[in-house]
Amino acid sequence: MDWLATVVNGALLGGLYGLFGLGLALVFGVMRVVNLAHGEFIVLGAFLGVFLVGLLPQLPPWVLVLPVALAGYALGWGLQAGVVNRAVRSGNPLTPLMLTFGLSVMLRNAMVQFFGADSRAIDGGVLTTAGIDLLGLRIGLYPLLVLALAALLFGALHWLLRHSEFGRVVRAVADAPEMARLMGVTPARVFNRVMGLAIAFAMLAGFLLAQRTLFTPFSGVERMLIAFEVVIIGGLGSFWGALAGGMVLGIAQLVGQKLDSNAGPLYAHLVFVLVLLFMPKGLAGERR
Amino acid sequence: MPPLLQLDEVDVFHGDLQAVFGVSLRVEAGEALALIGANGAGKSTLLRAITGLTPARRGTLCVDGQMLGGLSAERIAALGIALVPEGRQLFPSLSVEENLLMGTLARRPGRWTLATVYALFPVLREFRQRPATLLSGGQQQMVAIGRALMANPKLLLCDELSLGLAPLVVEEIYRAFSRIREDGLAIVLVEQDVARACAVSDRLVCLLKGRVTMSGPSQGQPRERIAAAYFGE
Repeated sequence: MDWLATVVNGALLGGLYGLFGLGLALVFGVMRVVNLAHGEFIVLGAFLGVFLVGLLPQLPPWVLVLPVALAGYALGWGLQAGVVNRAVRSGNPLTPLMLTFGLSVMLRNAMVQFFGADSRAIDGGVLTTAGIDLLGLRIGLYPLLVLALAALLFGALHWLLRHSEFGRVVRAVADAPEMARLMGVTPARVFNRVMGLAIAFAMLAGFLLAQRTLFTPFSGVERMLIAFEVVIIGGLGSFWGALAGGMVLGIAQLVGQKLDSNAGPLYAHLVFVLVLLFMPKGLAGERR
Repeated sequence: MPPLLQLDEVDVFHGDLQAVFGVSLRVEAGEALALIGANGAGKSTLLRAITGLTPARRGTLCVDGQMLGGLSAERIAALGIALVPEGRQLFPSLSVEENLLMGTLARRPGRWTLATVYALFPVLREFRQRPATLLSGGQQQMVAIGRALMANPKLLLCDELSLGLAPLVVEEIYRAFSRIREDGLAIVLVEQDVARACAVSDRLVCLLKGRVTMSGPSQGQPRERIAAAYFGE
């Protein structure tokens, strides 16, 4: 029973990991840019949360999900419009890679400068300690809500991309940017919104994770590693695969932690290596 | 009244390589102009220059008296110039209907809607939910034409409609062509098949190595004159 609870909690943690991967996959899928600063934005979401919780102590922390996500959208939009579009226009895939790598270094050091290098966490209040008993399993209420939110966001994005005009334009630009221009679409503007969404997801997930795990300005690299693993396990280009990939990693990490309390993430990375060896196209990669 | 499309002394480059040299031509409202010429004569490049995807480096391009110089491809699309590109270039991630709806983004309402495009090509209604690139070549060409029409253009540019299609399918496409022209849509048509080009157009312009070697009415041109312009002497 104890093990089952661990697996369930791992799957719930996986919802957050799935969100990490979602933004990375979206940006790569639409503009073929690997955002190496993705992890730093995840951590920035956590620091923004710390700041907002300090500023508005009377509010329950979960309310702050919305301003953190909105700030993420604005930052992502500005980043894309300000610099990344120029790098994409260069036509050389290495240019945006170097740009986001440099950006990650700058962001990391700026966060050390402003917030210090100490480990922190956000106190999520009663919500993070409450739990419910389900068929004899003790399940944290907070991870359950996080998973529900993650599933909701995945569903919303899926709907947006499949059934809205914006989604149609995003898919068309990803397919053939030049043809999309002949339809009156400006790809750079589409990219702005896509990067806005991706960073909103990243900062939101970073904020939520900070309520159960310690973080420092240097945590971005680990977070980005998880995001990459999620995308690869899920299968490149598959959104629901990213959610499944996040769950696989979350379960592997918590089960590993139970076996060996010092090395939970090691087991997650080992599972990643196994997937890479035996299912190199990922869980959802068979169709492509 | 200015012509619908006027090109004056247009030079177009592919990188450092010049592909079009000092081309001047005009298309009146409601007119169909056929651009003929051998492979590499610069026909497709000239179309790309009109759409703004490869802006002309020298010379002027005007649509309805408005200069296109400096306008982006997306602005030019909004002015009412639509392209049916060579090789169709549908969006593979989009269904047939979604491909057609991409034409509406130019925000030009008019005669052409999903209903009228489906009436023109009934087979597309049947396959509307399918991924566009799973259709046969001829059906894909219909999607490409429909997508361009959905923008309700003033000027339709067609690049090699018959390329790679079976003769029967080509017949079907060109039958639709005459219905497309009913309400006076102006067309610039690039076509390898010279006889076909003459049959469906009002005027003919022949390019050779990026230069205009002949222009005149499509009907009644002596074969030898076209051959000389086409192959050079």
